[in-house]
Amino acid sequence: MSDTLNINNSVVDLVKGDYTDMEIESIVYYAQNDLKLGSGFGNAISMRGGPSIQDELNKFGEAETTDVVVTAGGELKTRHILHAVGPKFQEEYLSDKLKKTIHNCLKKAEEKGIKTIAFPPMGCGFYGVALEVSADIMFKTFEEYLSGDTSIEKIVICLNDNREFIPFHERLNKNS
Amino acid sequence: MSSNNRSHKAELVIERLGKKLNRQIVGSLAACVHCGMCTDSCHYVLANPDDPTYAPAYKADKIRKVFKKHYDWTGKVLPDWVGAKSLYTDEELEELRDIVFGKCTNCRRCSINCPMGVDFATFNRMTRGLLVNVGIMPEGVAVVSKDQWEIGNQMGVLKEDYIDTVEWMSDELVDEVNDPKAAIPIDKEDAKVVYSINPREVKYDPRTIADAAKIFYAAGEDWTMPSEGWDMTNFGLFSGDDDLGGAVGRRLYEKVEQLDGKKLVISECGHGYRSTRCEAQNWGQTDVNFKMESSVETMLDYIKEGRIKVDKAKNDSSYTYHDSCNFARSCGMTEEPRELLNLVVDDFREMYPNRGENYCCTGGGGAMSMSEYTPQRLKSAKVKADQLAATGAKFVVTSCHNCVDGLSDLIKHYKLDMEVTQLVNLVADALIIEEKVPVVEEVAPVEVPAEAVEEAPAEVLNGYSFLVTDDEPDMVVFLSTVLEDNGATVFKAHNGDEAMDIARKEKIDLMTLDIHMPGKSGREVFEEFRNDDDLKDVPICIITGRPELRSLIYDRPVPPPEGYMDKPVSEDDLIKNMKKILKVRS
Repeated sequence: MSDTLNINNSVVDLVKGDYTDMEIESIVYYAQNDLKLGSGFGNAISMRGGPSIQDELNKFGEAETTDVVVTAGGELKTRHILHAVGPKFQEEYLSDKLKKTIHNCLKKAEEKGIKTIAFPPMGCGFYGVALEVSADIMFKTFEEYLSGDTSIEKIVICLNDNREFIPFHERLNKNS
Repeated sequence: MSSNNRSHKAELVIERLGKKLNRQIVGSLAACVHCGMCTDSCHYVLANPDDPTYAPAYKADKIRKVFKKHYDWTGKVLPDWVGAKSLYTDEELEELRDIVFGKCTNCRRCSINCPMGVDFATFNRMTRGLLVNVGIMPEGVAVVSKDQWEIGNQMGVLKEDYIDTVEWMSDELVDEVNDPKAAIPIDKEDAKVVYSINPREVKYDPRTIADAAKIFYAAGEDWTMPSEGWDMTNFGLFSGDDDLGGAVGRRLYEKVEQLDGKKLVISECGHGYRSTRCEAQNWGQTDVNFKMESSVETMLDYIKEGRIKVDKAKNDSSYTYHDSCNFARSCGMTEEPRELLNLVVDDFREMYPNRGENYCCTGGGGAMSMSEYTPQRLKSAKVKADQLAATGAKFVVTSCHNCVDGLSDLIKHYKLDMEVTQLVNLVADALIIEEKVPVVEEVAPVEVPAEAVEEAPAEVLNGYSFLVTDDEPDMVVFLSTVLEDNGATVFKAHNGDEAMDIARKEKIDLMTLDIHMPGKSGREVFEEFRNDDDLKDVPICIITGRPELRSLIYDRPVPPPEGYMDKPVSEDDLIKNMKKILKVRS
């Protein structure tokens, strides 16, 4: 069983760890509509990255669900943060919105010339998306996007523990 | 809105209710005869005798009516007779939220007093979970839940801060007992004991970590603390989110298994013990292959087996014991703490009622995270305050970190002359440890220059400038005196404006800051510092007598304070915290 999936000229990797402390070109933060970093990973981004990230976010005001806004990484080990406003708490049309949010992350990254992105399991945990559902939607969206002409070279899905890792690992290997 | 005029969220709540029904919950939902026995057992009712909306049976009916309407045949046949009613709007869900989170601490006192066996707390918790699932919850619950889901502990303590604090405590202990073997082992494989803690210990009370380490060291225990998966608290128990409960439990269990630990020892925490020892295996659908026990049992065994020696004369005040609801009422841990307490103190005074009948501290395993309900929570604490006062003890001992905060809060509110402590502190204070004499190898005498034998200065804060900001003159005098006695230069501010003036004129290495002050509040000063280019890097330690206001600081969109202390503050704790923030090693 592999932790890596090749799609066209790009690669998707699964890793375990805290992605807010990762040395990588960009990371995705599952943001709220008011673009306040808040607690959880937002707290880690504030603590490790410093106040400049929230300052930059404040200039955007609010964002709609599926929107993605990009800030610098402050003092984090990443250069860019893609703040992706995903659907939450079993809201209506959740799957479609989640897919569009992930698609918009890739599109926005490409616009900014970003080649490497670290994703958390999108919408899982606090916001209630089941790991299996998130894995399926993430891989489907990556497959569709990366099969076309793209400059994105690498996607890393960062998972906290075995409970999160196993469903993603199974989904990845279902494909390969 | 769906076709039946019901909101999407209300639809989801009703649908999920059906999936949560098991024999225990259905029995509780069906069995109530409205006899009123629960009413007299609830601390909310005792504090609000004229308000029937606090009665457990009334609160239960708000949930029961939905069950009757959708899942019980009586509600389908005789809906009006049995009070069956549905839910339609988000506003109704919000009203339900204020009942299940704001009018009950899930203490289960009504549950054990119900002659029909109705466990209100269990389906109150279930209802919390239904609401959390659709995003309807108090802000504080959302903040804590997200921290525990994503960072792995419910106070958002980052790994580097946890490791730093454990290493700091380790260094202090090594210095204190003069033995490098006292160092706290992190991630040691195959240890007999893996010790898990409450993040509150890292953030607000690191002394409990040092005290536990001292006890393990004195017992000669083969032990370790994990670098990750160390949080034994579980906010899923409070929020009703079984998925969170399972995820947190599995993270902790997996770490013990990864280290091949033989026993998981859970530090003193009521809801932590209940969730880790009794509940999370069900939530997480998992088994464990190691033993789990409370540190209370561990410490008691050490004394009984002669592995540690204690001198109860070292704890020479008067002590009473508060039974945590989760630890005592839900898990039956009532005798072990009393037996241990009687081994380490002379003057133990029982509190009445006690054990399973004890009243809740109103901390409720997480209730203090919801500042919007603080006034009604403190009002309901009156019966607990009366219980405490009646003992005449100077200290209330509890085996629960939530209770430490809940009790501290009500002691301040009701102006009781009492302090809160835990068994780990008392056992550590009573320890008899023979000082290790370093083995000195025989070497030829060397002439030592006179300046080299001078003792290191005792004034550990020499050269540092502090700004003490507090509206209580006594507090300013106390903090300044302690800091000055340790070599610091101190500037004093009695309000927020004064603090800003001084900070802009003087070079400040650290500011201590009260939250609740007339005029410009501590929150405003804190935010002004963080948003000021010249002051944003000044470390700030919040020192407050209003722990319920901590969210005013921690929820701000600026980096959090470097330190936090609850009043009353002891000299030792103040200096330890200042040294930690400034990274001063003695």
